Amino acid sequence: MRSTRALFAQRQPLIKFLGKRHTPKAEEIDHAPHAHPASPSHELPESFASYRGRAQQHGPLGGQQQQQQSSSSQSTSSSRQGAPSGSAAAQTSKPYGAIGGHSGKQLGSVQPKQGEFWDRNELPRRFHRTQWTEAEMEALESGGASIVA
Amino acid sequence: MFSRLLPRSATRSALQAQNQAPHFVRASPVTAQLSERIRQRRGYATPAEEKDLVIIGGGVAGYVAAIKAGQEGLKVACIEKRGVLGGTCLNVGCIPSKSLLNNSHLYHQILHDTKNRGIDVGDVKLNLANMMKAKETSVNSLTKGIEFLFKKNNVEYIKGTGAFADEHTVAVRLQDGSETSVRGKNILIATGSESTPFPGLTIDEKKVITSTGAIALEKVPKKMVVVGGGIIGLEMGSVWSRLGAEVTVVEFLGQIGGPGMDAEISKNIQKTLSKQGMKFMLNTKVVKGDDSGEDVKLEVEAAKGGKAQTLEADVVLVAIGRRPYTANLGLENIGLETDTRGRLVIDSEYRTKLPHIRVIGDCTFGPMLAHKAEEEAVAVVEFITKNYGHVNYGAIPSVMYTHPEVAWVGQNEAELKEAGVKYKVGTFPFSANSRAKTNQDTDGMVKFLADAETDRILGVHIVGPNAGEMIAEGTLALEYGASTEDVGRTSHAHPTLAEAFKEAAMATYGKAIHY
Repeated sequence: MRSTRALFAQRQPLIKFLGKRHTPKAEEIDHAPHAHPASPSHELPESFASYRGRAQQHGPLGGQQQQQQSSSSQSTSSSRQGAPSGSAAAQTSKPYGAIGGHSGKQLGSVQPKQGEFWDRNELPRRFHRTQWTEAEMEALESGGASIVA
Repeated sequence: MFSRLLPRSATRSALQAQNQAPHFVRASPVTAQLSERIRQRRGYATPAEEKDLVIIGGGVAGYVAAIKAGQEGLKVACIEKRGVLGGTCLNVGCIPSKSLLNNSHLYHQILHDTKNRGIDVGDVKLNLANMMKAKETSVNSLTKGIEFLFKKNNVEYIKGTGAFADEHTVAVRLQDGSETSVRGKNILIATGSESTPFPGLTIDEKKVITSTGAIALEKVPKKMVVVGGGIIGLEMGSVWSRLGAEVTVVEFLGQIGGPGMDAEISKNIQKTLSKQGMKFMLNTKVVKGDDSGEDVKLEVEAAKGGKAQTLEADVVLVAIGRRPYTANLGLENIGLETDTRGRLVIDSEYRTKLPHIRVIGDCTFGPMLAHKAEEEAVAVVEFITKNYGHVNYGAIPSVMYTHPEVAWVGQNEAELKEAGVKYKVGTFPFSANSRAKTNQDTDGMVKFLADAETDRILGVHIVGPNAGEMIAEGTLALEYGASTEDVGRTSHAHPTLAEAFKEAAMATYGKAIHY
């Protein structure tokens, strides 16, 4: 026993108990795309950045690039995508931004500014009104008879 | 419109009843179909079919991800076209080959290695059909086990071929010929890999075979040529060599076992396999093949050029590697790209450029190993549900299940030299291990590579009995960042083969006791 103690007084094993498990909080994790560790090229193709530059998914995907686009563009639709100037998000150094880009709060109000109007047709296609088909029109005109005919 | 007549508290089923056609009207199938299409298009009372996770591929990567996702409470569907779960590994890869390796080893041992053990054996005969049945029994019980786990974890199992219709929809051609589609908030591609064909040879799985044919031959070939001296080629070559075939391995590189195997270990196993009767032609390339006759003829010559010679065999096993399998997946419909070797490009969280579509397993980066795919399956579900996941690509073990087995984890000497890392080496032979002596199974050694300054373990390489089990300790040590002294000062039971592991560690930072 004594000899073991003496031994470990001289030597520090590399394996150490790390203590209680720490679960990282969402804000502690950087979700910006990085090259896969087993990727032979050690870099992501340009398509990753370009997709995030234009795509919207649960909010805009682009980080800095997205904001540059929005500040240069004055169109009504793009004015929704950019973060307010001077916000913390505008100072991000992440090249792609994280998934979701920024929180809804950071993006500002979803309401149009005074004197600004949006048209449904400016939104992505999935928000457009569904077109009536011939079969549906016929069903309406025949009082539903064409469905069960 | 009738739904307005119902109170707000009315149940959904009551609302749906309102939408159904009156009972006295008998609609034809065509009109019913039309009605249903209109209803779905408008979204009237259509039950939500969107899954939290749709997995394409029910192999090791896909089924593990499906079970893990079910455990995490996700609504998950897994699409598999083979008709049975488990993918290549369970059906035509790791599992059936291990069954054949184990049973052919038993047969070989009974035939050649019983006299010195005091066992007199009478007439020993091979019953290949029954050996194949034993293999199928093992495979069937395992694949059925996964189906049970799917039910237990509420995974919807869709038997069919999936292809992307759009970024969130996978169109499925079901096995019964009908079609359906499934939508997912997240989609996971886990379609695995297939054997790389050899130009000039037509794979018929009878004369010219891949690993799939090599586990299902109906008779023992007289002569077998294995093109490619990697792990698959050597394992299947071992099986048929033990059962009586004359096996010649043709390898382009200067060593067997593939580029990951340490050169010293590779030479060691080559010597042992040669003693068992296998022949090796290293630094040799196959120039062309002719499979038109009863036998297959291969023209080979030295890799750096030289005199050509012709090899004849009744069976040629093509084992030059595997390639990602993403055919007919509809990648072009969503603009997903592959690299020059056909691997889907992903980031460190397994996301493609479309962040809700992720890829794991053989069809993306990293070694094509089932246990690597399993690790990724757990990690990818954790990324979806918990925002973090972990796979250490520096600590993925590799095992070759010949006899003796070969196993390694971490870096080999050539890689360390190339990286300019100063390292020290410690080895211990199984011929000095008590348990190996009693088992009369003393071929092989354990080799440690550790940092010259810190003693941190950089690589562990084993050739010897039970190396595949023993490497788990090396992987754990590497994952924890242990030193060889940490391992050397840990008690190992006596008499065990694992003592050779401890003594090799001791030999790295000091001296082994028994050698």
